[in-house]
Amino acid sequence: MATEDARYRDSSQYRLWSFSPTQLSALREKTNAAARARISERLLSHPLPVSTSKQDLSAPTSNANTPDPDGNSTPALPEFLTPAEELTLVGYYTSEILRASEALHYADEIKATAAMFLKRFYITNSIMTYPPAEMFFVALFFACKVDTGHVNLAEYTKIFNKSAEEILAGEFLLCQGLRFAFDVKHPYRALRGAMMELASLPDMQKDLKRLDEAEAKARKVLQFSPLMTDAYFHYTPSQIMLAALSLADRGLAERLIQETFHFVAAEGNDTPGGGGGDNNKGNEEKARVIGSQIRDKVLGAIEGCRDMLSRELPERKDHWLNKQVIKTQITPLRKKLLKCKDPERWNLVELQRVRREQAAKKMDSDDEDDLGGGKKVKKEEDGDIFGGDLGHSAKKRKMTVKKEEDPFGGPMVKKEDPFGGPMVKKEEPFGGTKVKKEEDSSFGRFGGAL
Amino acid sequence: MPPQRPPTSAPRPGGVTAVSSLAPDGLPKPDSDDMCPVCKTIRYLNRDMEFLINPECYHSMCSSCVNRLFNEGPQQCPYAGCHRTLRRKGFRSPFFGDLSVEREVDIRRRVNQVFNQVEDDFNTLRDYNNYLQMVEDLTFDLVHGDEPTKRKAEAQLQQWEAEHKTEIERNRRAGKEQDEQSRRRLAAEQAAARQRRLDAIKEAEEEKMEKIKIKEMEIDSLERGQPLPDQQRVQLKRRGNKAVEAVTNLAAGSSSTADAVGKLSIRGLKEKKKEPRPEGPYDPFGGLDLTPSRYKIHGGLSHPNVEKYRSDKAHVTGGYSFDEYTSRAMFEAFAGLGVFIEDERDVGVGLVASEVVGMGAALAAVGGDGPGLKMELD
Repeated sequence: MATEDARYRDSSQYRLWSFSPTQLSALREKTNAAARARISERLLSHPLPVSTSKQDLSAPTSNANTPDPDGNSTPALPEFLTPAEELTLVGYYTSEILRASEALHYADEIKATAAMFLKRFYITNSIMTYPPAEMFFVALFFACKVDTGHVNLAEYTKIFNKSAEEILAGEFLLCQGLRFAFDVKHPYRALRGAMMELASLPDMQKDLKRLDEAEAKARKVLQFSPLMTDAYFHYTPSQIMLAALSLADRGLAERLIQETFHFVAAEGNDTPGGGGGDNNKGNEEKARVIGSQIRDKVLGAIEGCRDMLSRELPERKDHWLNKQVIKTQITPLRKKLLKCKDPERWNLVELQRVRREQAAKKMDSDDEDDLGGGKKVKKEEDGDIFGGDLGHSAKKRKMTVKKEEDPFGGPMVKKEDPFGGPMVKKEEPFGGTKVKKEEDSSFGRFGGAL
Repeated sequence: MPPQRPPTSAPRPGGVTAVSSLAPDGLPKPDSDDMCPVCKTIRYLNRDMEFLINPECYHSMCSSCVNRLFNEGPQQCPYAGCHRTLRRKGFRSPFFGDLSVEREVDIRRRVNQVFNQVEDDFNTLRDYNNYLQMVEDLTFDLVHGDEPTKRKAEAQLQQWEAEHKTEIERNRRAGKEQDEQSRRRLAAEQAAARQRRLDAIKEAEEEKMEKIKIKEMEIDSLERGQPLPDQQRVQLKRRGNKAVEAVTNLAAGSSSTADAVGKLSIRGLKEKKKEPRPEGPYDPFGGLDLTPSRYKIHGGLSHPNVEKYRSDKAHVTGGYSFDEYTSRAMFEAFAGLGVFIEDERDVGVGLVASEVVGMGAALAAVGGDGPGLKMELD
């Protein structure tokens, strides 16, 4: 096995985020089904915000025990998105990410990472569970962090007219959804490498202009096509790069593959039972790594990738911006999405607040449990050592939550204070010192008497 | 005014101790040493009261009691129920506050005098461990056992002593010799250190003198109007020589101690452990082969967009290596080229989905067993 391949197999992109097409579609269907089940359960247990008529009000309680999402007996349930519709919406938001990051002149890697973060997140999470319009900003912000293009949160929120809380609320959620695999391997540097290799071929020296053109074209493809398709899940960066190159200049891509998988000399010697053990073995290994057989396989993979990429060529950018398309395809889906969203998860800020409160409550109750047990004195000591701190931090957390809740309310009150406050404050020091002085003198008197 | 005694320590006829202050094994508790159990004197009255014990029975009493009772010769222990005859000569002050510990340490010392074989006396580690186990069992019986086991263990100890008299004697002598040797070595080392210190002082003195001398010479030469550039160089050289000498001396000293260790006589047939094989240089990648198999890194690899930075000071000053960029770009261009995700995810690494389907069909048709097929696949 080639060492390059072995090293690629160690990457998180291969281990966690590479799927065969059947696996991927199965995963998406599973996510969709799970989201349906969960949302319908939640809608039934909290019927008020959705249902309007009285009939609906009574119906969910009877159905709560026997959830039957598809039956006619549950009129409270909206129509859910299908996996294909979810995919379309994710595609739309991915294109939005690319558009936004282009407007901000972010680096190619950041754009691509943000797009892949969004896509990866919505494989294991349904678009009906978490709002894509929010996760979109989170993914872009987090991609900036990951690809060493850190943007100040204040600036970032100013650009998109969001509050810092909204961005940060989804951040950990995103990390969880990414299974904490932040490294996305892109084909951009690979393209540079391929160009270097091609330029170093002796007969290519004359055709440098052709190389430049091909690189520019392939780069354009790489900036859009693999991100809009599932290419990152099904192919390795080098395969994607070669597919893009073959879209730009087929001859160059084939030339590079021919040059790489050039090993043919061994075919003649490689007869079974032929002598020269070590040499033979080396040849076999070489044939496996750069022989003609693997070349055909690579060519097949690149052809497949090329087909996939050609479905979303850069020219399709306009398609995603076309008002007509948005009106006919995207808007109805978004409306539908708003109806079937998860009532508990949709508001990320609220969700984060609730989760924090739960965590704090849990810690508090843990402390109480500790104190309530037998051997009271000893337990209290233990609490001081271990539990006390935790309780403290939990309280702190609560405080911060409260602070976050009214970021604008606080200062207003403080501003009013300066007129009323200082008067009182100024009086206090005098009173304080007076008392102290008296005490001092009295102590002195006592001391003297003694 | 006579001191009032606390009501609890009222004297009792016979002056015999209260049984309640005894530990389970019949020895006084360590916290009872504020009062002599024999004469009931308390420490409050006699500041420098000293408690003595006799290793016969480990019953403690104050030194004045010992003097009073045993001045005229051997007597019975004054403790109730203890019928041992004690002599004044046997009394000593205990080292440990807890007398049971004192007793155990004494017993262990005695046992170790008899069972004084060392690891080199045995052929295998297992033998040695068995021996140690036996010794420890015997010691435990002597320390914690009840009367019959104690007696039995005592008999065993004496029997062993009688049987292995010569060996014990020899080992004792060897141990003494070794002690002597180590003491001598220590003394020699100390002497050497002292000598070194003296030498260093002497050397410093000499250097100082020399410096002064050179300074004078310099002044003289300046007076005469002709500088002496060689002089300083000579001094530096000498200093360097001295440093080298010191290092070699140190090495010689350490080698001589190594020789001394090597000369130690080794008894027994015990096989010595083999030295572990030298490990060679440390490999941070754990044997991972990082040489590329699909491409070669050569000087001709370049790109116009990279070349323009080669003269950029911001890039060059920081020590940025353009070769690193090249090798990384080349690696990314070819890494994973032979990784076919679709096949590998569905079937496994190194197999092709369509082939496996074909195999499966063949397997179903023939009904052959799995392993043979697997061999074929490999």
